[in-house]
Amino acid sequence: MKTHSTTFFVNNKEYTLDIPVHRTLLQVLRDDLSMTDVKYGCGAGECGACTVLVDGDRPILSCLTLAVLMNGRKITTVAGLEKEGELHPVQEAFVEEGAIQCGYCTPGMVLKSVSILEKNPSPTEKDIRRGLEGNICRCTGYEKIVKAVQRASIALAASSPVKQKEGGKV
Amino acid sequence: MSSRILPEFELLPHDIDEAVKMLGLHQGKASIMAGGTDLLVMMGDGFRADYVLSLGNIPDLAYIIEESGKWLRIGAMTTLAEVAESKVVQEKYTALWQSAAQNGSPQTRNMGTVVGNLLRASPSGDCCCAVLALDGWVVLEGPQGRREVAIDDFWLEYRATARRPDEIAVEVKLPDVKGNTTSAFRAMTRTTLDLAKLNAAVRLDMSGKQCENARVAIGAVAPTTIRVRKAEELIRGKEINEETLEEVGKVVSTEVSPIDDVRSTAEYRRTISGVLVKRVIEEACKGV
Ligand SMILES: Cc1cc2nc3c(=O)[nH]c(=O)nc-3n(C[C@H](O)[C@H](O)[C@H](O)COP(=O)(O)OP(=O)(O)OC[C@H]3O[C@@H](n4cnc5c(N)ncnc54)[C@H](O)[C@@H]3O)c2cc1C
Ligand code: FES
Ligand code: FES
Repeated sequence: MKTHSTTFFVNNKEYTLDIPVHRTLLQVLRDDLSMTDVKYGCGAGECGACTVLVDGDRPILSCLTLAVLMNGRKITTVAGLEKEGELHPVQEAFVEEGAIQCGYCTPGMVLKSVSILEKNPSPTEKDIRRGLEGNICRCTGYEKIVKAVQRASIALAASSPVKQKEGGKV
Repeated sequence: MSSRILPEFELLPHDIDEAVKMLGLHQGKASIMAGGTDLLVMMGDGFRADYVLSLGNIPDLAYIIEESGKWLRIGAMTTLAEVAESKVVQEKYTALWQSAAQNGSPQTRNMGTVVGNLLRASPSGDCCCAVLALDGWVVLEGPQGRREVAIDDFWLEYRATARRPDEIAVEVKLPDVKGNTTSAFRAMTRTTLDLAKLNAAVRLDMSGKQCENARVAIGAVAPTTIRVRKAEELIRGKEINEETLEEVGKVVSTEVSPIDDVRSTAEYRRTISGVLVKRVIEEACKGV
């Protein structure tokens, strides 16, 4: 079995691993690096539980990605969102809105929401629902998840440096 | 264990030459992987490949190049998301743009490729439908060099293509479109994530209200995506109005040979196919 030395970053920490070509990113993150915040739902691209962000804001499915192809890439899992013990505004909004029930879809949902807001800081409800396609939740009925993204959008706008400057002018 | 086990495979070429050599060495036993959104799912479902040759380490296969007056060229690793974000594709090759922008989920669009969609050769492939309407060509590279296959001759039967086992598809080319050419695509699905129960695309070369030339493609009604030539003949040289559209709808419904499956019934597909093609033509006309 051939392995490939692969170097990538997960949540800003560098890892160099010898990885067999056939291992998925999901297997390497969960089984080799014990990052169990990345979830395994279907293994078939349908549920989005295994979503991670690549190079900042691009959501991909770790269950359908070969880990050896991640050489040099920056991967973000949900555990990488908090800064110095503070939750990311999207995480906070999920808690505030009660957008979490069993929590199994939550890591994927949160990362996906972050990517939606990176692209479009003030999305409409339709934009949010469209953006969340590919992430399935069996508990919440999505209503509260959509609300959480809206809440996070407002919170992020209030805390962004541009807005603060504008606020200062008034 | 956090997911199903893939077989051990280890083909990671660094350029096309090396990839073609590897394919030659493992004649017929190696499957090519672009985005993997189809191949890895099939392997999880029991499809057995002795080797998987990933194109993921070959640089420079992700591009959208417009050669003005000639071709639009899309590389084998260009993702659906990249096509959906391209202004040129959106404005000039609207059918392809729609087929990529509505394909699957944001995640599968970030991973899956247009060329992979064509090579997957599914009769319900969304880009297949658009590329057939847009008169595309698949560029293949093998031990004897490059050759180009017109999309009309590319799909041989259900999930089978004209690609030889030692060839790699390196790009898809679409002929340049002029200002009077317009196109559109539409899929009927439960959600965009679902595979289409029916999809259709058209390309119309217009001269005022008159249609000079038309290509009409429809998917999920036969073993491959097909053209409805009788419908094309009906509108060629004619003004597109209620009357012609009515006739087109009727012809389409008699020309297709759909089957029953989990997504829909043959009867429903037959009835609706004419309506869908009519609507796609109307939508394309709005774009002139
Ligand atoms: C959740 C989900 C939703 C989806 N929704 C849609 C949808 O709405 N519409 C749709 O059309 N499809 C859909 N798909 C199917 C698939 O994602 C797309 O068809 C995608 O375009 C395939 O591209 P890929 O690069 O991932 O293909 P891969 O999985 O890499 O390859 C697909 C096939 O093509 C062959 N191949 C790929 N590239 C080459 C090449 N360069 N040379 C030779 N052979 C090659 C492979 O060997 C394989 O047989 C969906 C899939 C999933 C998992
Ligand atoms: S586990 Fe990857 S999409 Fe379901
Ligand atoms: S909270 Fe249970 S799956 Fe979403």
